[in-house]
Amino acid sequence: MAKKGTEKFNLIINGIIFLFFLFSINTLLGFAVLVILIFIMMKSPGIKNKTISYFSSGNVAGLDLKKLVAQATVPQASRNSLEEIDRATSANIITAFNAPRRTKKLEKNKKYLQVALNGTLAEAREVLGTISQSEKIIIEAGTPLIKTFGTDAIREISYLRPASYIVADIKTADLAEREVAMVANAGASAATCLGVAPIETINDFISACSTYGIDSMIDMMNVENPLLVLKRIKAMPDVVILHRGVDETEFSKGKMIPYYQIKQLKGAYNIKVSVAGGDTLREVQSAIFNDADIVVVWKNFTRSDKKTGNIISGFLKIIR
Amino acid sequence: MQIAFNRSISEVENMVNRLPGSDRILIEAGTPFVKQYGQYGISRLVSLWRNKVGEKAYIVADLKCMDRGLTEVRMAANAGASAATCLGFAPTETIDEFISNCQNSSIDSMVDMMNVEFPFEVLQKLKKIPDIVVLHRGVDERVNNKEKAIPYYDINRIKGAYNSFISVAGGETIKEINRTFFNGADIAVVWQAFFDDPGNTGELAETFLKSIKGYGKKRN
Repeated sequence: MAKKGTEKFNLIINGIIFLFFLFSINTLLGFAVLVILIFIMMKSPGIKNKTISYFSSGNVAGLDLKKLVAQATVPQASRNSLEEIDRATSANIITAFNAPRRTKKLEKNKKYLQVALNGTLAEAREVLGTISQSEKIIIEAGTPLIKTFGTDAIREISYLRPASYIVADIKTADLAEREVAMVANAGASAATCLGVAPIETINDFISACSTYGIDSMIDMMNVENPLLVLKRIKAMPDVVILHRGVDETEFSKGKMIPYYQIKQLKGAYNIKVSVAGGDTLREVQSAIFNDADIVVVWKNFTRSDKKTGNIISGFLKIIR
Repeated sequence: MQIAFNRSISEVENMVNRLPGSDRILIEAGTPFVKQYGQYGISRLVSLWRNKVGEKAYIVADLKCMDRGLTEVRMAANAGASAATCLGFAPTETIDEFISNCQNSSIDSMVDMMNVEFPFEVLQKLKKIPDIVVLHRGVDERVNNKEKAIPYYDINRIKGAYNSFISVAGGETIKEINRTFFNGADIAVVWQAFFDDPGNTGELAETFLKSIKGYGKKRN
């Protein structure tokens, strides 16, 4: 690499001397050759690519190469194009993990409704039957559901809803990489991590998520200032969840969902913001009005009845 | 001593069978284990350990409860666990709900103080004091950041003010465990050694037990 560099350098020096001579012979001639040279440089794609690949390979070398092979081969794609990263990682995952993986990803500038399933598996099955197959609906395997039925709950949902985007709400607080591997292999498209967890865990979680090709969501429940957490972590998560806990909602009515933080977060970072903890139509409305990308609802969906379908179509109307 | 199990269910069965049948060993169903196998995993551990130790068997379900105290505690109690854990940085409402539900279903409540800077402040806000307070240094923290230490000095501070047991998690070597008990902790949680070397589970447990014996006698 160093030898190539000096060769290139010599070429440039020679070129400059040559130009200097031309200028001294005839100013007009020198100027004309200079313009032609610049024109050739701009047109020729070979030169451009060479310089770019030179820089990007330098970037890859700067990364921690000890990490999994799959991650090491991921090209350094720009963070703001989700799709690019997805394609790159999924290509690697297929060879490295051979697991049933979701290819569905969240799209930019689209609003989603996330329905959390928290009852028993039988109830979840029933509720899934009443929810229409819409691109805008995300299915969430709730924490109690996962803790009761394990990863089988995720497998079941992904079997029932092969086309849906599935979030595994595992609320990771430690041992991030193992938990991410677990749910990724069970067919989840995204996993959650607690914002109050140690910074090391969150960093591990986000890098594990990109290794396994799933979206990372950071749950900011009980975090006073999510921006402070985001400032401390290495890579940005795909989604940040602003969350008011169920117990909080029930026992102290005064606590508000901090809608003003949505704009703050979206202004500072290129991430999606999801809002959880509001269950009425009104609250969903104000979340969407305040520019949230995803709204999580659960209360009306623990038990299925005829109303469930109606409620969802009501929500979807707002979200559109 | 509390041993946390985080491997696959068949391996865990094998490991439990190798353990010496001592009622001083508490079995913990680790968080990844619970998330992978759910209620079934916990009840399987319970029945295994009951067969070995009888009625004194003590199983901890490491739920790391963050919300919905009621649902999760009920689930663990139904599976037969003797104690469940809740995160110390969860909302105060959740911890309160968690503790009162634990009492209702007559299992012990553990509050996990991982990443909590001042466990004391959390305890002060609660309506009721949990049965056991867990001082915890996370695994990811330990691997990526060697400097973080277990706050041993907190043990005596909490024991002085409240009537609860103290459990210390995050120390893995015999030296660290000795230090834990020397500082007045009631329970030490280990898992790394067992996770790395499942074949030697029996001998490992024996050595750990031997090293803590002296401290138990002193207190009794």
